[in-house]
Amino acid sequence: MATNLEESLRTKAARPDNVPADRVYDIDMYALDGIEEGYHEAWKKVQRPGMPDLIWTPFTGGHWIATNGETVKEVYSDPSRFSSEVIFLPKEAGEKYQMVPTRMDPPEHTPYRKTLDKSLNLGRIRKVEAKVREVAAELIDKFAAKGECDFAAEYAGIFPVHVFMALADLPLEDVPLLSVFARQMTRPEGNTPEEMAADLEAGNDGFYAYVDPIIRARTGGSGEDLITQMVNTEINGKPIDHDKAQGLISLLLLGGLDTVVNFLSFFMIHLSKHPEVVAELRSDPLVLMRGVEEMFRRFPVVSEARMVAKDLEYDGVTLKRGDMILLPTALHGLDETLNPEPWKLDLGRRGISHSTFGGGPHRCAGMHLARMEVIVTLEEWLKRIPEFSLKPGANPTYHSGIVAAVENVPLVWDAKG
Amino acid sequence: MTKITVISREGDRSEIEATTGVSVMEALRDSGIDELLALCGGCCSCATCHVRVDPAFYGKLPAMTDDENDLLDSSDHRTPHSRLSCQIVVTDALEGLEVEIAPED
Repeated sequence: MATNLEESLRTKAARPDNVPADRVYDIDMYALDGIEEGYHEAWKKVQRPGMPDLIWTPFTGGHWIATNGETVKEVYSDPSRFSSEVIFLPKEAGEKYQMVPTRMDPPEHTPYRKTLDKSLNLGRIRKVEAKVREVAAELIDKFAAKGECDFAAEYAGIFPVHVFMALADLPLEDVPLLSVFARQMTRPEGNTPEEMAADLEAGNDGFYAYVDPIIRARTGGSGEDLITQMVNTEINGKPIDHDKAQGLISLLLLGGLDTVVNFLSFFMIHLSKHPEVVAELRSDPLVLMRGVEEMFRRFPVVSEARMVAKDLEYDGVTLKRGDMILLPTALHGLDETLNPEPWKLDLGRRGISHSTFGGGPHRCAGMHLARMEVIVTLEEWLKRIPEFSLKPGANPTYHSGIVAAVENVPLVWDAKG
Repeated sequence: MTKITVISREGDRSEIEATTGVSVMEALRDSGIDELLALCGGCCSCATCHVRVDPAFYGKLPAMTDDENDLLDSSDHRTPHSRLSCQIVVTDALEGLEVEIAPED
């Protein structure tokens, strides 16, 4: 009942003149209709035959929503029309977001991105695989003999975070604090855009204050960790500005703390109900490694936005400079015009199409790390727990937002097996 | 069908028959060349299907996108003839193409 009350308190924006009445749909990205059934299921209800490419919702400050894969992809890929000046909704909150370089457009963006890529490229990530595998094995060994675990709480919420803290050389006891900041940024609380902006700003300020002394201590250092590498980088031939370094390192923490965490739980819920897919994963190491991309397609977790850079016509409507367009990546991976039988997790699928890592110049810099974390999780898990299922009567709790979340994922298996 | 010569990381040469319209990555994968991991299956997001193309054919290939260029840029083994094989569609014009699988990053 509390949910209904909350929903009824959520403010709605007035329809601007450039939005035709027939494009208006009540969609609250932070409280999707049908979210109890699942995050992807709830978004997919928006993608109906005959739906225009762009619709508009009065919730979350009022914004457009891209409703299919082609549109999500096109908006991501063209910064000249769809800017990253503001990327989080509500826009009031997005304007408080100070991470670097996610709010920059090329060419300003380019040198910062190169810095990220240098530390997160495939070669660098391969070098840390053994360490990542150790973290995974240690966690699974803790509960493998028990025959059950809450996967979200005992693995997904810990593994990527431990990996990341190790790569960044940060103490594990800081995790609870950083997790609060991450939640404030990706699922800010409040009934009005202003309240949500205040929550997001608190998270952003929290990250900035946290990284400030760390950056100062590691500037000029020679450590191998991600933070030392990045703060000692040059931007256009000059040392990186302190505030830009704060934004860059904060982004690293935010990206490392909330995305893979939730993605892991989403696909494990699915696998727990599909033993035949699990058997296929066990059958051949290459099937497993190559099957991970299909999981990325099937379980996207991010919905960020782009800002219309100039007045323009798109899909038969006039978009005004400053208008916001939400890009639910779920509506790309699950679009049956691009991925036939989209609900099916088909490890042998050809021509996979998705925007799970975004697209264009801002495509996720952490994608190689994410891919390796998923492969390693599956390999180490299946070695110890070859068969598992969702505990009877279990009811995972789903949340929607900039990053989708799921809690309460109790898995059971035969510990003697 | 189009004939493609593949040079493995150990320098072994083999010849495969590729179906027109598929990508060179798929043709290599389907012929069982497992050292080409091609993890992302053609989404142009993993850089694990990196090959070096015979210079004689390089100019006949489709233009490179920014995504492909950025991914290749992050490889230590990029050469002027590097491409991601998932971005090369097999056509009749590529008959006799020679590709060398790049060292693992």
